[in-house]
Order: sequence, then C-alpha cells, then structure tokens
Amino acid sequence: MKILVPVKRVVDFNVKIRLKGDGSGVELANVKMSINPFDEIAVEEALRLQEAGKATEVVLVSIGPSQAADTIRTGLAMGADRGILVTSDEPVEPLAVAKILRAVVEEEGPGLIILGKQAIDDDSNQTGQMLAGLLGWAQATFASKLEVDGTYFNVTREVDGGLQTVRLKRPAIVTTDLRLNEPRYASLPNIMKAKKKPIVVRAANQYGVDLAPRLEILKTTEPPGRKAGVKVKDVAELVSKLRNEAGVI
Amino acid sequence: MDVPIVRPEFLQPPLSPDLIARLTAIVGDKYAVTDAEELAQYLTEARNLFHGRSPLVLRPASTAEVSAICKLASEHRIALVPQGGNTGLVGGQTPHSGEVVVSMRRMDRIREVDTASNTMTVEAGVILQTIQRRADEADRFFPLSLGAEGSCTIGGNLSTNAGGTGALAYGVARDMALGLEVVLADGRILNGLSKLKKDNTGYDLRNLFIGAEGTLGIITAAVVKLFSKPRSVQTAFVGLKSPADALKLLAISQAEAAGSLTSFELLAEICVDICLKHGTDIRDPLAYRHPWYVLMEISSSRDDAAATVEAVLDRGIRNGFVGDAVLAASLQQRAAFWKLRETIPPAQKREGGSIKHDISVPVAAVPAFIAEANIAVAKLIPDARPVPFGHLGDGNIHYNVSQPVSGMTTQEFLARWQEVNAVVFKIALRMGGSISAEHGIGVLKRDDLPGVKDKTAIEVMRGIKALFDPLGIMNPGKVL
Repeated sequence: MKILVPVKRVVDFNVKIRLKGDGSGVELANVKMSINPFDEIAVEEALRLQEAGKATEVVLVSIGPSQAADTIRTGLAMGADRGILVTSDEPVEPLAVAKILRAVVEEEGPGLIILGKQAIDDDSNQTGQMLAGLLGWAQATFASKLEVDGTYFNVTREVDGGLQTVRLKRPAIVTTDLRLNEPRYASLPNIMKAKKKPIVVRAANQYGVDLAPRLEILKTTEPPGRKAGVKVKDVAELVSKLRNEAGVI
Repeated sequence: MDVPIVRPEFLQPPLSPDLIARLTAIVGDKYAVTDAEELAQYLTEARNLFHGRSPLVLRPASTAEVSAICKLASEHRIALVPQGGNTGLVGGQTPHSGEVVVSMRRMDRIREVDTASNTMTVEAGVILQTIQRRADEADRFFPLSLGAEGSCTIGGNLSTNAGGTGALAYGVARDMALGLEVVLADGRILNGLSKLKKDNTGYDLRNLFIGAEGTLGIITAAVVKLFSKPRSVQTAFVGLKSPADALKLLAISQAEAAGSLTSFELLAEICVDICLKHGTDIRDPLAYRHPWYVLMEISSSRDDAAATVEAVLDRGIRNGFVGDAVLAASLQQRAAFWKLRETIPPAQKREGGSIKHDISVPVAAVPAFIAEANIAVAKLIPDARPVPFGHLGDGNIHYNVSQPVSGMTTQEFLARWQEVNAVVFKIALRMGGSISAEHGIGVLKRDDLPGVKDKTAIEVMRGIKALFDPLGIMNPGKVL
C-alpha cells in the first residue's frame, strides 16, 4: 500500500505573527517557515505504518512556492521516500488544493492519504474533507489513533464528547489530530540521505484546475490585547463578578 | 550548608524607628516592605542556600529616589544591599546581617530604543527577557541569554557581569553595555549613559561597576548594545563519545562558522538522564544513548545556517568524532532542545544535594579538567555523581556534583562542600582557570578569593572599594 501525505509550508508555530503595514495580510518577509505541525504528525504516522510493514511507500506532496521544496525535504529527512512539488506563487485555497490532490491521487494510486486536520496559517480545516468528497472515499477526521486491519482502517477520533472509533474501507482519507503521535527528529545521516531523494516539480496550472481564489480578504487585524486583571477583596466579590460580569456561573 | 559567615565588622546595628520612617518616606509607604511575610521573597533564593535577615526593603521608582536613599544611608551609616530579580547564585543579593535591601524591580522602564545607534537605554529593573523581546520588536537582537532570563534584571546581569549561552559569539554582559548610570554610596549620580563605541576620555569607570556585585554603587540604568537579527538559525543536538571529541567538533564548527557559532553547550549523559526523569515533556532527542552530548547553534546573517551545521556534522560523522546528531526542523524542536539544557539545574535539585562549581579553564583543558576532577571527587566521596555541563565554547563548566544515590543524607553530603570545592578549584587553578566563571563571588566564594587571586589585584580592589565606599555600606561582606 502506498501512502500519500500532503504537506504545507507555513509560518513556524513559534513565530509571533505580525501584520503587514497596509493590513492586507500577514508579514512573511524574513519569517521562519516550517512544515505545518499537523502535517508533520501525518508524515510520522505514515512512516510508522511503513516501518510496521503496513505500507510500501510514503510519498509527500506540497502545493506552494518553490521554497515548499524545503518542506518536502523536511519530511524526506524524517524518512519519506519521495516528493512531488506543485508550484504556485499565488496562495491556493482549499478547494483548488483538493482538486490538485485529486489529480495527484489519480496518478499515484495511494491506498491511504493522511493529511493534517488543518494548516496553522489559515486554519481552514477543509482540504481533507473536500478531497474525500471529490474522490468519493471514506474519511476519518481528527484521528488520535490509526490501525490497519487488512483492507480496513480502524481510526479513533477526538470528538467533543470523547473518543469515537470508526472503521473505514481502503482507500481512505485520515486527518491527524495533535495526540496521534510525537514526530521524530530528523537525524543528520537521514538529512544527508534526503538530499538525494527525488522531488518531481510540476506547475499547478498543468493540472487543469481553476486556481482563481473564490475568497477576497477584506482586512486583517490583530486580536485585541489582553486586559489587565483585577484583584478581588474576597470570595463574595469573586462570585459576584463571575455571576454578574463574566456570566459564567 | 552554613555559608554566610557574617564577620562582626559587617553587622548592621538595628535601625531606629526614626530612620526607618525617613527611608520609607523616600519611596512612600506602599513601596517600603517591613511585613515579615512580604519580606520573605527578598531574603531567600532559589537554591535555598542563603536565608537573609533585613528589617526593610525599599522599592524606589527613580534614580532620584535611589540617590536619596544612598545619601541618607551614608549620613547614618546604614548598610544597603541592591537587589534585582534575586536570581544570583552566590548570595550577593541577600542581606546577611540586617542590611536594608534596595529592590530595583520597580525601575523597569525602557527609556529609549535607538535603531540608528543600535542601542537600548533601560532602567536597572527591566527583566532580561523584556529587553530581548523589545529588541525583537524593533527587528534587532539582544544576545544575553541565561536560564533565569524570565525573572533576572539587567541591573543584576551587569552587576554580576552575567555570561550565559550567548557569550561564545557576543561576549558577556560587560561586552553588551555601552554606558551606565550609577548612584554612588554618598548619593551622587554618575551619569555615564553614553551610546558611544569610541570614547577615550579618561578612566573607564563603567567597567568598574560591571561585575562589582553592588559593592561600589547601585546601577540604576544602562545603555546596552543591540545587534542585527540573524536571518537563519540552526540548532543541533549531537551525541558523541568524549569531551575531547566535542572539542574537535568545536574546532571545525568555529573554522566553518566563525562568529556565527552562537552556542556550544556540553552535557554529560547523566544530565539527559535526570532531565528525562524529572522534567515534563522532555524526550531523548537521539535514537540511542551517548556518553556525552553537545547542543550547538549557528546563527547567520545569511540563509546558510542549516547548510553550515549539516556540513560540520557530516564531517564529524565521517571522521568518527560525532556519533549521531539531530537538527531542529522547527522553532518548536529548537525550543525542545534548549528546554532540555535549561532543565538540568532544576532536575539536579530534585536529585538531592548538589555541590556546585562554576569554573572556567582554557578551552583546550576542559577534557583533562573533567577527567581529573572526576577522579579527585571519587576519592573524597566514592559514590558522588558528577553532573558536568556548561558552555564548552567558553571553557566554562558547571561542574556540579550530586549526592550518592544512597548511603548518605543530603546534610552529610553538603557538609563536604568546602572540601570538594577545594580539590576541584585546585585542579582548575593549576590549569590556569577561574573559580568563578560567570556567577561571581558574593559571599559563597568570598573566603576563597584571597587564596586564588593575585595579591596585588586584591590590594588594588580594596583600594577601589575604599575610594567609592569609604564607609563600607555598599553590599558589605560581599566579594572582598
């Protein structure tokens, strides 16, 4: 079974986001970019399945600017076999991403696609679901556990009320939640090996997908600053504030 | 441990209610602490080695208030102990015999950020991390960095000439200061808030106060240098066989990266053991265990940090002096490597008693120092566990010794503190080293100083002390 793992290049989780001066978006110049953490978890899960003998090949695909090759290399250094880079200098929205991925899936024929549940830059949480819809495949989102059982996948999902386990028939789509695993560090020997692993580069417009954005960003603003705390004199005042001002009890 | 040995000449006679009232009036009732419960945070410190005694903590808000305090103190011969974030490790910030504490934490204004001169003018009570963040906001970099950065103050950093992990490329606190504002013992204000790199107009007074541990005056503000932000940073966690192999890695890293090698920390395997045991969310970065580890970081003004680290480590692996290495793929992974390094001291605390040494030796002597100190300590206390770690690039090793796993109480172990110090210091000194690389002298090493420092140097230091503080009211009983 081949596993396909889409990976996205995003602003590093630990970078303090700054707005562009004109409010048109987030400042990306000289900002540290990394692999989307949920996608890193997806790569790790795919590698664990491969190491357990449940998968034959792990293929990474990234859609983005040419530097997204670095993001693929990060996954190759973790142990993935090869990469496909679909280049687009303009941002690509989830539906267009899903359509490009559908085309890649048709070429590659994976039995399982593992995606991050969302990317930490736009937090859309749509690509996996849209891809499942386009392909007509079974899907399990927000996975915290993934088991291969013959031609089925048993996936434990984190839902509001607790954990839900679903059984999917291959081929299927799984999106990862934080608790699925803890991704490995890339070792130097594996980083050096990754430099020799193949990455095929294609332009996004070769897939015949309409990449034109369907959304228009009107403005981007910073979240409101935290207000200073207040000291209360006694329990009675605290209870009164919680009841009357915060309205939480 | 029974450190502070308070000499009779430093005992502060009890303050009269009138003097307490006059000192209080300078800062205002609200900022004069006399309540025992509130005083406690100023009198004890993280290692719990020192328990101070003081009738009064003053929390001035301005240089003028500090000046008024010093003036009154010298008129009435009241001993003062300046204090920043109270994170010092040698008892320099603690009032050991009833002195008045001058806590600088309320003086926490950033007076100016000057991106043309690349300087920031800060008051003494600004938290180190606040300066780092403010520099970052101005698209600049402030490289002083140490474990206590979330609570230590720049005034304390300068007074103790703090070192930390950035010293390798950027130097110690002294190298990051351009100017100082200091209140002298008699209350006079020495305004030296200069932004000049070049200023040859007489004796360098600034450098007298940096590292003086508050014994010559109280630093109230400083002009610190800002640096350009590195464009790329690459951090690696490396496993290797010996400190000698770590030295080989250091040599080729410096050859390849020159000034871009910003950190090179050495850790013994036991450091990783205790961090895994006591830390939260700590994992062993490497696939299998190694006797020694190096945490290294290259910060470049170009986009080549990763390529340089990869080239250096690849050479190390091919030449057999690097066992294995992992590279941080994200800032989160970088933070995880550093978290392990910063967890060593708290983890060691939970391993029971620890006899500390903050020594430095010439870089080339580090492997021999660690080997000889291990033998010497084992002779004294056979099952004691050396936990050496530190800034290999600076030759600065925190050669700490944890108590044996069994067969000895913490108290019995710590009773051997001076004895263990003596043999370890002897080895460091023989190799041309120092008994206090970055923590200072305070009271902890005061009695060791005359034995290890050049006699003439001590005489000159005493002369300087007598000139600036003829009454002996500035942090008495510390350093000298």
